[in-house]
Amino acid sequence: MNPTETIAEASGTGDSIFDVRGLKKEFDDGSVQALRGVDLQIHQGEFVAITGPSGCGKSTLLQMLGALDAPSAGTLNYRGRSLPDLADPAAYRAKEVGIIFQAFHLLPTFTAVENVQMPMFETDRPASERREHAISLLKSVGLEHRIHHFPTKLSGGERQRVAIARSLANGPSVLLADEPTGNLDSENAHIILDLIIRLHREQMMTMVLVTHDPTIAARASRVIRMMDGRIRSDSNTSS
Amino acid sequence: MTFLTIIVRGLLRRPVRTGLTLVGISIGIAAVVALVGISRGFEQSWAKGMQARGTDIVVSTMGSGLAPKPFDASVRDQIAAVPGVAAVCPIFVDLTSIESSSMMIVSSREWGGFSWQNLKLLSGRMPKDAMEPVVVLGQNAAEVLEKKLGDPIQIEARELTVVGIVDGGALVENGSVILSLPLYQEISGNQGKINVVDVRATAGASEEAIKKLCAEINQVVTEAKALPAGENVGNSQAYKFISAMSWGTSLLAVIVGVLGVMNTMLMTVFERKQEICILLAIGWKRSRIIRMVLLESALLGFLGGIAGVLIGSMTVKVLETLPAIHGLLEPDLSPRLMAISVAISVIVGVISGIYPAWRSSRLNPSLAMQG
Repeated sequence: MNPTETIAEASGTGDSIFDVRGLKKEFDDGSVQALRGVDLQIHQGEFVAITGPSGCGKSTLLQMLGALDAPSAGTLNYRGRSLPDLADPAAYRAKEVGIIFQAFHLLPTFTAVENVQMPMFETDRPASERREHAISLLKSVGLEHRIHHFPTKLSGGERQRVAIARSLANGPSVLLADEPTGNLDSENAHIILDLIIRLHREQMMTMVLVTHDPTIAARASRVIRMMDGRIRSDSNTSS
Repeated sequence: MTFLTIIVRGLLRRPVRTGLTLVGISIGIAAVVALVGISRGFEQSWAKGMQARGTDIVVSTMGSGLAPKPFDASVRDQIAAVPGVAAVCPIFVDLTSIESSSMMIVSSREWGGFSWQNLKLLSGRMPKDAMEPVVVLGQNAAEVLEKKLGDPIQIEARELTVVGIVDGGALVENGSVILSLPLYQEISGNQGKINVVDVRATAGASEEAIKKLCAEINQVVTEAKALPAGENVGNSQAYKFISAMSWGTSLLAVIVGVLGVMNTMLMTVFERKQEICILLAIGWKRSRIIRMVLLESALLGFLGGIAGVLIGSMTVKVLETLPAIHGLLEPDLSPRLMAISVAISVIVGVISGIYPAWRSSRLNPSLAMQG
């Protein structure tokens, strides 16, 4: 794929995945206000880039969307269900969303194929099926020759590809990525971005990607700019 | 890869620390095996010894010492007169230092009493009469004292002669210096005194009948207490003290083991804080994290238990060969004791893991985003 290709044409289908109203998040008893009232709707199949300077609240917003933390105020619905009120947020994280971290966050004492299997422990798949599925996911990200390598023996780009394969383990409908190219050189950054775009296109996955890099944001179908815990602009590049 | 693979990999992550923790817990379990094994073996050895002498009931004053307190020999006739008593054999048993051995059982029996009958002569002969200045040695006692037939043996101030080596059918009997009761009463200055009466019930007496007979003897005899042979040592204050000391020391060792495992698991949890957050972030339930930590901890306990049982058993085997103990103890290293020890170790592991597991389950998955 041409690294400069955008996915502007692949816009959302219109079904609301996330519905966020007046979302606030405070830390340290209110002395730090990371989110100061965010209103946002993300639709099925959209590729959303959230940008802004450090400390603007973009990663905090991603944490809320991933049910990694609870908001201080406001409503946050996923397909009509309130995320903070989920009885089993772990099941949501395991099956509905895949999360990609800036620092890859692979477990160092497990091989690539073992790392990819980790989320599958929360499913009914038997061990042999978990392994086969993990291998097929690693093949899909071009790492069939690295399945038995430990993270320390992989390059940064390869580690992030393993992390992407892990995020796809349980077939999520949404992929949440926090600066997925932030720790990579430009060549590997393009490879990873192309991979994310390909997944979005082929599987019609909803992508929410946090980045401070405007060139990466430019390849999304929708760019949300944040500042001081609020959304400053929300532009659909496909329109 | 199974869940167990994750557990094992967690322990192998820091092999030195895991190894040191295993050493800590295994020493605790080894103490349990060795101390409890020895104290229970002590009880069993005496019970077997009484069985070998053909004793159903033992009348003695198992007080605070290892050897019973002396009482008047006239008790013998009082017991013999109780209906249901087939035979009696008064004994004066002592635990004393003899020549090179710091502790030896001296068992002096009524001349012609039934307690002589089960001694199988391996070499030499039995004493010719009640006052002949001779002894027979159990085969282990002969080995420990390095005596053979015809050798002199110093007991208190008297020099006697070894005239026979016997197989008594039990470790306690084989570890004893056996002589005639009146001879030892004279040597030890305990004329007219005994401290044990072996009682044989009429043939075919049931366990219930023996208990009833004990009660009847206890009504007649006030100086000593009659107990079924198997319960005699277990009821002794000295044995109870030794047993309590064994369990107490073992408990301390096990507590040290608990603290060691807890420290290791807490360090593991702190060290793997971000990894645990990542697992939570990718969808692991908190209950699975708790299970992971508890299973790691339990596996540490299990492996420590296995190692402890091996170390404890080997220690006891080495101790058995020591001259001071050889022939006196038959430690109870039964599969039951070993299974109990491993079970204790696993429970120690699980208990030690509860707090670290709880701590790990409280971690916030959003921390995975940091760093």
